[in-house]
Amino acid sequence: MKFVLVDRILELNPGKTIVATKVLRAGEELFRDHFPGFPVVPGVLLTEMMAQAAGKCLDAEQNPRGKAMLGKILSATFKRWVVPDEPVVIFARIESNRSDYATAKCHVEVGGKMASSAELFFVFVPKEQFAPGYVDDVLESYLSGNAAQHE
Amino acid sequence: MKQDEALAWIATVFEESPEDITPEKPRGDIPSWDSLGVLGLMAGLDTDFDIVLTAEDMQAMTKVDDILEVLRKHGKLE
Repeated sequence: MKFVLVDRILELNPGKTIVATKVLRAGEELFRDHFPGFPVVPGVLLTEMMAQAAGKCLDAEQNPRGKAMLGKILSATFKRWVVPDEPVVIFARIESNRSDYATAKCHVEVGGKMASSAELFFVFVPKEQFAPGYVDDVLESYLSGNAAQHE
Repeated sequence: MKQDEALAWIATVFEESPEDITPEKPRGDIPSWDSLGVLGLMAGLDTDFDIVLTAEDMQAMTKVDDILEVLRKHGKLE
């Protein structure tokens, strides 16, 4: 499984809010263990979905401070099971956005109902730390699609 | 806010027991007062008290009383 837990961005207000989606397919190997006869998306992956979405929201500002990385999970709750093949809609709202850190309040919905929520703390890592030419394909796809629409 | 409330707040930020946070306690004796802890403290001061400090301001703090002094300077501590 590729560790890309956002399939597509639906709405984006850089540095402020994002709405995105993800579907984890039933064929993913992790569901054989989590759990046999009762496959459900692990809470940590729901949290990672929210972190990746919020990170993209911050990265979309293209700020020289660097790439947003999860520094701390301030809180996380899991209210409903999320099963394979269910489309997950991810919401993130940036609460604090400073040069050294950012915080976000996030939640995911399935079938219009909240399944999980989290408050996340982000730090920023200089882009030079990453492989040359590294591109966030999901973010770039959204930004280039939007740019084309406005031309 | 009174000093004991401020110390309890600091304890929460650093995920320590309130009994373990005293004004004299040096930074080195608080395990969570590391680089991530500094950012957490900055975020907490920002969110809870509208106090915005730079990473350099934070690095100059060497003990708990330095945090209390910031709160005093901003009128948050009796």
